[in-house]
Amino acid sequence: MPVVDVQPDELRRLTGHEDKSDEEFKDDLFALGLEFEGVTDDGAFQLEFGPDRLDRLSVEGVARSLRYQYGDARGVSVPNTNDPDWTFVVDDDVPDERPYVTGAVVRGVDLDDAALDSLIQLQEKLHATMGRKRAKGAIGIHDLTMLKGDVLSENASGNSITYTGIEPDGDTFVALDSNDELTPAEVLEQHATGRKYADLVSEYDRYPAIYDEIGLFSFPPVINGRRTEVSTDSRDLLVELTGTDQWTIDRMCNIICYALAARGATIEDVEVQYETGTVTKPDFEVETKHVSHDRIETVLGVELELDEVIDLFERSGLDANAELGEETVYEVSIPPYRVDVLHPLDLVDDVGRAYGFNDLEPRYPDVGTVGQRHERSRLEDAVRTSLVGLGFEDLLNFHMISEGENYERMDVEVGSEYLGGGEPASITEPYSEDYTMLRTWVLPSLTMVLENNTHRAYPQDLAEIGHVAHRDDDENTRVAEARHVAAVLARHDATYEDAKARLAALCRDFDVELETPATDHPSFIDGRTAAVVIDGEEVGVVGELHPKVIVDHDLELPVAAFEFDLSSLA
Amino acid sequence: MRLPESQVAVLNAASATDERTIAQLAEATDQKPETVTGAVFDLRDEGLVSVTETTEESVELTDEGVEYAGEGLPEVRLYRAALDAGDGDAVPMGQVIGASSLGGPQVDIALSNFARKGYGHIDSGELAPDADADPDADEEAAALAALELGESVDGDVLDQLESRNLVVRHERTIRAVTLTDEGVTALMEGVEAAETVDRLTPEMLTSGEWEDVEFTEYNVEADAPEARGGKKHILRQTADRVKDVLTGMGFAEMEGPHADADFWINDCLFMPQDHPARTHWDRFALDVPPMEDIPEDLIDNVRDAHLNGVGEDGDGYHSPWSEDFARAIALRGHTTSLSMRYLSGHEVGELEPPQRYFSVEKVYRNDTLDPTHLLEFYQIEGWVMAEDLSVRDLMGTFEEFYSHFGITDIQFKPHYNPYTEPSFELFGRHPETGELIEIGNSGMFREEVLRPLGVECDVMAWGLALERLLMLMYGFDDIRDVHGTMCDLDLLRETEVLK
Repeated sequence: MPVVDVQPDELRRLTGHEDKSDEEFKDDLFALGLEFEGVTDDGAFQLEFGPDRLDRLSVEGVARSLRYQYGDARGVSVPNTNDPDWTFVVDDDVPDERPYVTGAVVRGVDLDDAALDSLIQLQEKLHATMGRKRAKGAIGIHDLTMLKGDVLSENASGNSITYTGIEPDGDTFVALDSNDELTPAEVLEQHATGRKYADLVSEYDRYPAIYDEIGLFSFPPVINGRRTEVSTDSRDLLVELTGTDQWTIDRMCNIICYALAARGATIEDVEVQYETGTVTKPDFEVETKHVSHDRIETVLGVELELDEVIDLFERSGLDANAELGEETVYEVSIPPYRVDVLHPLDLVDDVGRAYGFNDLEPRYPDVGTVGQRHERSRLEDAVRTSLVGLGFEDLLNFHMISEGENYERMDVEVGSEYLGGGEPASITEPYSEDYTMLRTWVLPSLTMVLENNTHRAYPQDLAEIGHVAHRDDDENTRVAEARHVAAVLARHDATYEDAKARLAALCRDFDVELETPATDHPSFIDGRTAAVVIDGEEVGVVGELHPKVIVDHDLELPVAAFEFDLSSLA
Repeated sequence: MRLPESQVAVLNAASATDERTIAQLAEATDQKPETVTGAVFDLRDEGLVSVTETTEESVELTDEGVEYAGEGLPEVRLYRAALDAGDGDAVPMGQVIGASSLGGPQVDIALSNFARKGYGHIDSGELAPDADADPDADEEAAALAALELGESVDGDVLDQLESRNLVVRHERTIRAVTLTDEGVTALMEGVEAAETVDRLTPEMLTSGEWEDVEFTEYNVEADAPEARGGKKHILRQTADRVKDVLTGMGFAEMEGPHADADFWINDCLFMPQDHPARTHWDRFALDVPPMEDIPEDLIDNVRDAHLNGVGEDGDGYHSPWSEDFARAIALRGHTTSLSMRYLSGHEVGELEPPQRYFSVEKVYRNDTLDPTHLLEFYQIEGWVMAEDLSVRDLMGTFEEFYSHFGITDIQFKPHYNPYTEPSFELFGRHPETGELIEIGNSGMFREEVLRPLGVECDVMAWGLALERLLMLMYGFDDIRDVHGTMCDLDLLRETEVLK
C-alpha cells in the first residue's frame, strides 16, 4: 500500500486549520482511510492508504481531502487555465512502444524547500503506482526559463519542444547528478539512475528523447538533463509526461497540476501536436456517471433524503444533480484528479464514507441457506480421526518442496513408475531452492520431520493426510492433484508388520478390502515392501524404509511406513 | 489379628518402654524407611502404637564451605600472601592477589573479610597486613574445620558462616514410636501377616483367591511413565472449529484446484494484469503449458470488463489485457479462485440466490518468511449471495462469525480492493489483551466481477488467514514451530487441544 510523508505544519497551512493538533489530524486522517504509521526523521507523518485515491500522494492532495471532510470545500473544483503558448510536437521518430505525451506549463510557483520536497515526493510516488515504475508513465518537470522554444512556423508566435526518438548513441547531454556529456546509451551504462531504469528502454530500437532549440534536454522515462533542473528559485515550470497510455499520463499530469495549483500557481494549457491531430492538455474534463437513489439506499441499507445524498456527494468533492422520474437518478460530476471511479458503485462508496460506514447498524441477513462440509473434507476428517485413534501424531507440512528432498533423498528417480516418481509441477522462477516444486508424495515431508526431531522422544508415529501433485498435461490445469494418506513409525523395533497392522485397522474402519502383494520400491527394503491394493486397485505402498534413506536423514532407528491415495477409502 | 507384613514387622520391633526411631525400626525390620513410616502411621491410626515427633537441626557445609575448609578462608590466604610478599610492609594489591592464587569472586570476598577481621588495612590500592593478627585463631576457620569432622559448633559463628553462605541448616522431623497398651495386647494375642500380592491376576479372580489377599500399596502420588496418544494438528483443530461455525451459519464448503489459470485466480476478480501483485515476484507460476479449456464466452466477458468496464457508465482499466497471461497456470494466491469457479456456474451448476459458501484451504504467496508469514498458509474465505445485500448485512454476518471466537467490538475501516466496493478492513477487540487487531478483509464484489460471471444479484465476501486466527486466539508466536517440516514434535505433543 502506498505511503505518503506529510509535514503536519504544511497540513495546517494548506487546510487553513492552524490550530489543529497533531493528534486531531491523526484522527481526521484515519477517518479518511489514511493510517498513521509513524514519523520520519524530520517529523513528517507517514500515512498509509489504499492504492485507489492516488490524488492523495502529496500533502496538497491530503489537505484537499481534509478540507472536504471539514466542510471547508464542497463540490467539484477545476483550476482555470490560460491559453497555450507552448506546443509539444510529436515527431515520426518517436518509439512505437512509448507513443504518448502530455503536459502543462505552470507559472508563478513559489517553491520553498517543503513545497519542492512535496513535488519530488509526488513525482516519485506517482511513478511507483500509476506509472508502474515508469513503464506506463513517466514525469519530467523542468525549469521553463532554461528552455528555449523552437519557433513553430514563421506565422506562429508560440514556442515548441519536440518529442522524438533517437539512436542510442545519437546525441549527448548532461544528465541530472552528473557532469559528463553522455549519450543515452552511455547513461544506461554509467549513470546510477540510468542503470536502474535501463530495462525499460534497452529493447527499443530508438530511445525516447525531448528537444528544445538548444538541444536534447530529457531522456524519458530514464532521466532529465541537468540544464533544466528545478530548484527553489524556479518560478515557471514545464511538466511533460510520456507513456504507453494517454489516459494514465493525463491523469498523472492532472494530479500534479492540482497539487501546484493548490499552492497558488497558474496552469497554462499546452498543445500536443500528434500526426493525427492536435489536442489541448492538461485534460481537465469533468466526467459524469449516473447512479440511482435506490442503489445508494440498498447498498448502505438505510433510507436517505434527496438533499442529504446531494450533500454527501458534495462533501466528497463531487457534484450531483438529481434527475427526478420514475426512478430518481443522480448525474454525478467527477473531478479530473480522480483515477479510481470506474463504475457508479464507486460513487456509492464515496457517499458511504461521507455518511460514516461505522454509523450503520449491523444486521444479520435474513436469508436461509443450508450449510455443509464438502464430501472430500468429511472423508479427510474421518480418516484423520482414525489415524489419531491408532496413535499417530497428525502433521501438517508444506506442499512445496525441493527436487532433492522429493526424489533424490528418497532414492526415487524423476519420471519413474514408483509412488512419488511422477513428473514435477515445477515453479518457473523459484525464490528459494527449498521450494521448487509441488511434492509428488507425502513421505519425504514426514521423513524430514523425523530428521528434524531426532532430539525428541521415541517412538515417533507420525501421519499426514495431505495434498500432492504432479505434472499431467492431460489435465485442464496441467497438474494432477490428489490427497494422500501417509504414515511413519520410527521406533527401535519398527517392522513391516507394525505398518501393515495399522494400515489394516484403517481399512477395516472404512470397510474396504486390503491386499498387500509383494512389490519393490527404491525407498523401501526389497522383500519387505508391498503394494497397497484396496478393493482390487493398487493405490500405494507399505514397507520398511531402506537403510540408505534412513541414514541419509540422520536417523538411527528403523522406520516402517505406508502411503496411499485417500480417495480409495471413499 | 491379620495385618500387612510390613506392619507386623514394625509392631514386633517396637517396644512399649523404649522409643524407637523410624531409622532404628527400618534397620531392625530390614525395610525401607518410607515403608516403615507408612506402616507406623497405619498402626497409629489403629491405635497400636503412639508416635512422638521432635525436630532436629543438622548443619551441612556448602560446596564453597567444603572448599574453604580444605584450602583455608580466602581472607586468611590473602593475609598470608601479603605477609610473605612484603615482610609485614604494605604491598600493592595486584601483587598480593597474584601470589595468593585467589581468583574470580574470591578476591572480593577476601578483601571485604580481610578488613572486617582486622587482618590489616587497605589503602590506596595497597594492602598493609597487621603483623599482630593471628589467623590460626580465626573462629570461622575453626568452625569450618569442626563441622567437616561432624562436630557441633556454637550458634554465633554458625550464623556468621550461614550469612557467608558457607553452611546450610536443615531441620528434620524425628519420629519415635512406642507400643500402646492396645499394641501390647494385640501382640500378646498374636498378630499374623496377611498374604500380600502385587498384581491382581486372572487366576485369582477365577479361583476366588482374591478374597484372602492384601494388595500391596502403591505410592499413588508418584509419577507414572509418560503415555502418549496422537492428536489432530492444532491448525486442523482450528480449521475444524471455523468449519463448524460456518456450517452452523448456513455456509457450504467449496473445493477446487490449487494450481489454476490466472484467469480464475485474478482476471475474474477484476485484478488488472499490470497490478503489482500479479508480477512474477508475488506469484508462483508453474512450468506447464497454459490452460486450454476455459469457456470462451466467459473469457470474452472478462476481457470486456477489463478493457471497457461494465454497464453504461462503466470504465475499464487503461491497461492491456492478454489472453495468454490469463491462461497461464500458477499456484493460487487466494481461494477466491474457488469462489469465481462456483459463482460462474461452472463448478456446481448455475447458482440461484440465496447461497452461502466457504472454504478453509491453502494458498501460496511469495511473502518473506518470518514468524508470522509462510509461503503457504490457510485462507478462510466466505461469501453470501442474495438479492439486494447491503453493507449492514455484511457487518451483521461478520459480527456473528467473530463472536464465536470471542472477538467483539468489530470495526469496519473503509478500504480498497480491486475486486470489492465498498471494501472494509475488519478490526476487532482481542478477548484477552483488549487490543484492536486486524482480523480480515471484506467487501461487496464489484459488478465488474459478478456480471461477466453471469451473476445478477449481490455477493459479499471476506477473507482471513487461519494462521492469524490461531495466533491471535491461541497465543502461538512462531507459526514455523507447528506448520512445516521444521516443526517441533514436542510442541505439537504438548499443545493443549481446542475446546
